[in-house]
Amino acid sequence: MAHLKHPDSRSTIHMEDSIVISHHHYDDRQHVLRLHCPQCASHAVHGQFVHLQCDRSLLLRRPFSIMRARPDEGWIDLLYKEVGQGTMLLAKQAEGSVLNLLGSIGNPFILHEDKPIRILIGGGVGIPPMIFVAETIRQQYPSDTDMTYAFMGSEISFPFTVLNSELPVPGVTAHHAIEDMENISIPSRLASLRYLTGCYRGHVTELAEKFLQTLSPERLQIAEIFSCGPRPMLYATKRLAMKYNIDCQISMEEYMACATGGCAGCNVKITGPDGPAMKRVCVDGPVFDASLVEL
Amino acid sequence: MQRGLDSRLKVSFCGIELNSPVILLSGCVGFGEEYTRIKGFSNRDAGAICLKGTTGTARLGNPSHRLAEASSGIINAIGLQNPGVEAVIDDILPTLDFTETRFFANVSGSTVEEYIDVVRRFDDSSVHAIEINISCPNVKEGGAAFGNDPDMSARVVGACRAVTGKPIITKLSPNQTDIAESARRCIEAGTNGLAVINTLMGMAVDARSQVPIIGSVQGGLSGPAIKPIALLKVYEVYQVAKEHNIPIIGQGGIASASDAVEFLLVGAATVGVGTALFYDPMICKQINSGLVEYMDSMGIESIAALTGTLKLSGSVSGCDDRP
Repeated sequence: MAHLKHPDSRSTIHMEDSIVISHHHYDDRQHVLRLHCPQCASHAVHGQFVHLQCDRSLLLRRPFSIMRARPDEGWIDLLYKEVGQGTMLLAKQAEGSVLNLLGSIGNPFILHEDKPIRILIGGGVGIPPMIFVAETIRQQYPSDTDMTYAFMGSEISFPFTVLNSELPVPGVTAHHAIEDMENISIPSRLASLRYLTGCYRGHVTELAEKFLQTLSPERLQIAEIFSCGPRPMLYATKRLAMKYNIDCQISMEEYMACATGGCAGCNVKITGPDGPAMKRVCVDGPVFDASLVEL
Repeated sequence: MQRGLDSRLKVSFCGIELNSPVILLSGCVGFGEEYTRIKGFSNRDAGAICLKGTTGTARLGNPSHRLAEASSGIINAIGLQNPGVEAVIDDILPTLDFTETRFFANVSGSTVEEYIDVVRRFDDSSVHAIEINISCPNVKEGGAAFGNDPDMSARVVGACRAVTGKPIITKLSPNQTDIAESARRCIEAGTNGLAVINTLMGMAVDARSQVPIIGSVQGGLSGPAIKPIALLKVYEVYQVAKEHNIPIIGQGGIASASDAVEFLLVGAATVGVGTALFYDPMICKQINSGLVEYMDSMGIESIAALTGTLKLSGSVSGCDDRP
C-alpha cells in the first residue's frame, strides 16, 4: 500500500502550559494578560486566537484573539473583558499562574498587495486583532505611512493609553488616538456613544465613513476593510463596505468547544458561490470575507 | 519513533482488534483528522474513531448558537451537519490513515430507507464497523424519535443488518423508559455491539436576554454531569448484553482512567471519550497510561478481563432483595 500523505494541517496547533507574566486590570472589568508561551508566540500571526483554560474548574476553554506576539521574548498579549464565568475566573489569575492553552489557531487576515489602503475597524474586545494587524502592516510595509487608518469604538473606557494624535486622518475632527497605534505611525481615531473627550460621538462605523468619504473613486478601488467586534458593528461594517464597494474581511466570534474543527459547535452561516454552508469559526475562520457571512 | 501502546490494552470489539479500549466518539472529532492539528495528538492513541454522523445527503445542521456550557457539562445541538455519504466515502475516507487506528462510520437518517441507503454504501467502504445512531436528540425526524421506541429501534437495526456484513454498533438513547428492553430488541434485530449512552436532552437559558442559548432551543447534555446516569445505563444494558456476548462502548462523562475503569467494571468492553477532549486533547494518552498503572497496581493481565467484574457482594444493598 502506497504511503498516505497526511494533511498539512497536522501538528499546526501547539498545546502548552503558559505562565502569566503580567495581568493588568483596567476600568470596566477589562484586563490585559501577558502569557509566556514560546511555541504559540513563535507561530502566531495577525487574526489568530488561542484557546485558553481560564480555570481548572471549567470544562470548556475560552477563545481569545491574540493582540500581539513577541516570538523573540516568547509571549503573547490578550485583551479581554469579563462577560461570563470563564472570564471572571480568568481575571483572578495572578502572575505566575499556569494556564494551559492551544494556539495559535485559525486563518489570519490577508494583506492583499493590490489593496494597499487598509482601514481597520475594531469594537470593544474586537480591538486586539486590529492592533496585531496594524503591527504586521507596519512591519511588512514600513514606508507606507499614510495608507493604513484605524478606527476603534467602545462604550466603556479604552484600556489603552489615549493621547492627542499628531497623525492626521482626513475627514475626521476628533483627535484622540491610541498610543500603541501612534507609536507605529498608524493614524487612529476613537468613537463612543458616550461623551468621551476627544472621541467621535457616535458609532465607529460612522467615524470610519467620515474618512471613506474623503477617498477618491480610484483610492476606494485599492482600499480594503479589516474588522472585528460585536455582531451589530460587523453588520454595520459590512453595510459600509457594500455602500462604498470595497472588500472587507471580518473576524467572527462564536461559542466554541474544541477549536480544532472536530465538534462543529462554532459554525456560522456562509453563503458562497455554491450556496449556503455552515463554516467553523475555529479552523475555517475566524476571518471571513464579510460579503459571504450572514450577520 | 512512535512507541506502541501496552499490549495489555488490546481488546477485541465486535471481532475487531483494537489497540486500546479508548474510542473517540462521533461528533467530537469530525471526520478523523481534526484533532491531529494539535502537535502531540495521535490517532494511534485511540483504539478506534467514530466518524461524524453521516446521512444520505448533505445537511447544513442547526443554526448558531450550537453550544452552551452547563455545570460539569456542555449542551450541544449541531444537528448532524455533514457532507452526505457520497462525499464521506469518495472524498474523506481515502484521506484517512487506517494504519493508525480503526475507523467506524456513524449513520443517521430521517427514515428507515435513509439508514438502509447509507449503511449499504458504507458496507462497500473501508470503515471497520458501522455505528447506527438512533438516538441523536438534535434532529426533528429520525434520530431519537426512532431510538426512544424499541419497536422502531429494532426495525432500523434489522433493516441495516440486512444490507451489511460489517459489524453494527447501535447507539442507544438514555431518554427512554427502559434502555435494557431497547438493547434486547436491538440485539435480537442483529446488532453486534451497543454504544451506551448518547446525550441527555437539555436546555440552557440566558436570564439577562431571556432567550434560549441554543439556537434550536434544546440540545444534548454531555460531560461529567451525566456520568452517574451513563454508568447505571451501561450496568442495566450489560445485564441483557452479556447473555448474548454483545460488547458495549461505555460512554458519558469519561474524563480519566478511573472513570474508564468504572465503566469497564459495570460492563463496558470499551470506553468512549468525547467532551473531555475539549478540556484535555491528550486525554487518550492519559487514560491509556492510567489504565496501565491500574493494571500494574491491581495485578491485572489484560484490560479486557475487567469487563463486568463489578463486585456487588460488598456493596451497600439497594432496593433489591438479592439472595
